[in-house]
Amino acid sequence: MKVRISRFDPGKDDVPHTETYDVRVEDGARVLNVLDAVRDDIDPTLGYRHCCRAGQCGSCAVRVNGEPVIACMEEAHDGDLIEPLELPRIRDLITDIAPVMAQIAWLNPGADGGDIPVCGCEVTHETIEEIKPLRECIECYSCISSCPAFAASEYAGPTVMRQEQRLNLDPRDGGDRIEEAIAKGLFACTTCHKCVEVCPKGIETPRKAVEKLRAAAAKRGLSLPAHRALALLVEETGRSVERKETPFLERVPDVIEPEGEVRATVGFFVGCMFNGRVIQPALDAMEVLRKNGIRVVIPKDQVCCGSPLIRTGLPGFVPELIQRNIAAFVNVGVDTVLTMCAGCGSTLKNDYDTPFRVADITEYLCEIGFVPPAKVAGTYTYHDPCHLLRGQGISEQPRELLRSVAETFVDLPARCCGAGGGVKSGRPDEAAAIGAVRAEMVKATGADFIVTVCPFCEFHLHQVTGLPVKNIATLLLEGYRE
Amino acid sequence: MGMENRSDCHVLVIGSGGAGIRAAVDASSAGETIIVSKTITGKGGCTVMAEGGYNAVLRSADSVAMHYEDTMKGGAFLNDPALVEVLAREAPDRIRDLFTWGAVFDLTCDNEISQRPFGGQRFPRTCYAGDHTGHEMVMTLLERLRGSPVEIRDELTVIDLLKDGDAVSGAITCDREGELGVITADAVVLATGGAGQVYDTTTNSTAGTGDGYALGYRAGVELIDMEQVQFHPTGAVYPYDTRGRLITEAVRGEGGILLNTKGERFMEKYDPARMELSTRDVVARSIATEVLEGRGTEHGGAWLDVTHLPKEQIETRLPLMLEQFLRFGIDIRTRPMEVAPTAHHFMGGLRITPEAHTTLPHLFAAGEVTGGVHGGNRLGGNALADTQVFGCRAGRAAAAVQHTVKRAADADQIAAAEEKISRLYEGTVPSAKIRRSMKRIMWSNVGIYRNELDLKVAERDIAKLRATPLGISSPREISDAVITENMLLVASLVIDGALLRRESRGAHTRTDVKVPWTNETSPFGHTFFSKAKSGIEILEGRL
Repeated sequence: MKVRISRFDPGKDDVPHTETYDVRVEDGARVLNVLDAVRDDIDPTLGYRHCCRAGQCGSCAVRVNGEPVIACMEEAHDGDLIEPLELPRIRDLITDIAPVMAQIAWLNPGADGGDIPVCGCEVTHETIEEIKPLRECIECYSCISSCPAFAASEYAGPTVMRQEQRLNLDPRDGGDRIEEAIAKGLFACTTCHKCVEVCPKGIETPRKAVEKLRAAAAKRGLSLPAHRALALLVEETGRSVERKETPFLERVPDVIEPEGEVRATVGFFVGCMFNGRVIQPALDAMEVLRKNGIRVVIPKDQVCCGSPLIRTGLPGFVPELIQRNIAAFVNVGVDTVLTMCAGCGSTLKNDYDTPFRVADITEYLCEIGFVPPAKVAGTYTYHDPCHLLRGQGISEQPRELLRSVAETFVDLPARCCGAGGGVKSGRPDEAAAIGAVRAEMVKATGADFIVTVCPFCEFHLHQVTGLPVKNIATLLLEGYRE
Repeated sequence: MGMENRSDCHVLVIGSGGAGIRAAVDASSAGETIIVSKTITGKGGCTVMAEGGYNAVLRSADSVAMHYEDTMKGGAFLNDPALVEVLAREAPDRIRDLFTWGAVFDLTCDNEISQRPFGGQRFPRTCYAGDHTGHEMVMTLLERLRGSPVEIRDELTVIDLLKDGDAVSGAITCDREGELGVITADAVVLATGGAGQVYDTTTNSTAGTGDGYALGYRAGVELIDMEQVQFHPTGAVYPYDTRGRLITEAVRGEGGILLNTKGERFMEKYDPARMELSTRDVVARSIATEVLEGRGTEHGGAWLDVTHLPKEQIETRLPLMLEQFLRFGIDIRTRPMEVAPTAHHFMGGLRITPEAHTTLPHLFAAGEVTGGVHGGNRLGGNALADTQVFGCRAGRAAAAVQHTVKRAADADQIAAAEEKISRLYEGTVPSAKIRRSMKRIMWSNVGIYRNELDLKVAERDIAKLRATPLGISSPREISDAVITENMLLVASLVIDGALLRRESRGAHTRTDVKVPWTNETSPFGHTFFSKAKSGIEILEGRL
């Protein structure tokens, strides 16, 4: 098996370099077995950490082909590129994890110092069950090394927040974890869920720690002013953006009939941004659906999905929003509701229990077989909205549409742009810093246009790159009009 | 080399598993404490990998006397009764400490610590956190350690203990880059764990190389019962590189059954009363016999089956097992696991008093590096309890050693260490090669079934390896080379013990010796080893 390993010796090298090694390993060998083979048979000085060989100590986390993995669990493949986690590097695959470890809080058993054993009576079965999902962390630091907010801001990182919430839930702990979490950057998390994707234990830190800590902060009046204002706006108007021009819902009829034969009927959930701030892409989407033979039913009493409130820890009004939205679509009798905002789609799919199916517009078009558009001139790249990629597991469908319509398509690995999780409204500087990293990646593609499926990404990416950003629906419509 | 890295403390703890961390936390109340770990503290020991549980008497229907009796019987009455008594009596307090410090153990609906049955015990007294109990304990201990004044030194290998006269007075260390250093201390705690890595197939982490046995031996300490190596009955067998990985006893505790390729539940033949929940030595021998007699699986194991259990029980009680097997394409809810014995735990080790004193002044020890607590066979769930009970005792006893104005570390000892290392540069054979040979020799000749002929072959071959010029070409290889030497020394002690003990007792089975006595009436006590003497204790009036 041939693998490439990133090597770096600070005593000798100015920059890391990649070496190729040809080693003999058994069938089903793990990445760690490959590293062992290189050390044992070729270069005994190869630096890497390892210990339990059973995925339980977290020592051996490395990146394979760009993504963090636990080396002792991940099967090795010919051609793999093995690199260290994206943390300060010491040598070869060994990174400096001490500063990260120092951020992880410990339980403070109070004045007695825990020397007097107590019975378990104050901790309940229910509390234990609630803490458990936050307790499986093996401190491999994969999450921290791939967290866009950690890389671009003072945010201490996902597992640090996981631990704060784990302690916050525990009656045995005497510390104030809310103030501590805020000091460690609680409001910098964009809820992009990259940490969940790379976590070997699948710990849902944004949902089970960050959003919960933000909610606890809100109860103590410690929410960010911008988030409080947003929550108030939603409560008063049912919308998270202020009315500036005639919104989408007032511009379209209740039912939009398609061109030609009716292939299907769907409901359309527009979301606040497409309703009131970036309206044209939503109108373009309606045209695209018409040209694909889809009848669109648009209940006018739909409201904000609640996403901004959930992400920022102010979910008090959310049950009412959920109830109003579900009623609105149940009343018009559709069995499928389309979204075109990644955030709304993710919220409807994950935070609602809907009696109808929710599908993203790209997902739906690919599923029913879309009318092929003509090619549109220019070089396009695609930015994965986090709430579409990780919130809904959709990555291939937008690319399929884009390949069909773009003259030239340049692919781009996913990375959060910084617009989500209330960071753009609450901490604009951090959003910009996260966006700057993304802008570099986008520019490296040489694309003339960015295409995406999220109004927040669209808005923010334009700001940080200066490039034109198009919604996929807009581009498709251009293709249909060619 | 210079040895410019010098530090001094009251208590030096070597090893960062459950016992080491607990010892460091307890020692730190009495003065400056340093914990050194050759890995990352908390990640290194076997505690973090321990899955099944922690034995403690917590219910009125159970009793300390019963825990004591189960442990003695399980240990083939080779245990040191005083140590077992301490273990059984203090295990409940130590688990309550952990609970106070935030441990997330499973609780019953009445909010009491949950317990489940484990092999060889008459009461379900094994407390647990799913099937990652050790991980839970280590995370709790790490939090406690991080909140203590203990100085943590990671990725530092101890290459020898320092002595001041008879007393142990510190250690010579080697860091990741090969830089040597000295830490002097009033007292030293060894908590370096076991040595499963001397075998080809083992559950142990790569750090399970038995350094403490070797460090202690070279310093002049006495060890006991080194032949008593527990082979856990259920290790993974396939894919090849996962061989030996632990499949927790909790699988059987939850109701898993063992089958041979004929579909027979073969434990009926070997221990019809206790079946799969017999002691580990018995179950391991049973599987080995089935395989030897041709009723094994394709990869040389037996089937461990939980498919008859409710899916929900598997998902909630054995989540780690489910996840690990799924990664290798096997859904244990619908297919059996293929298992075979794997080197797991060293019951032997440094002889200690109930105060965790070794036979050398100012040297204490706790956890798997010690001998006597578990006798000839350790009960599942007793190791985690051992780490806490004796970790606590060792930490407190070390802390109580008088503070002294220390002399500078003995220049002769440092010179000897440097000399030993400089000789390594003249060697030609790399560590990896020597270790591979050693592991194979130990697995083939010093495994579950032993006889004098095989042991003699192993003795000769290990001696040959020890005479091989082990070599390095850069300072970064020093630690590995020293550890390899440690492993060879440990391997030879295991063989010595296995030759000395001419009986089958606990995990040690001599197929070439038939004896008229039972475990309880055996005339033999501990085997013992030190630089000065080795042998086997004869109990008066029994032979």
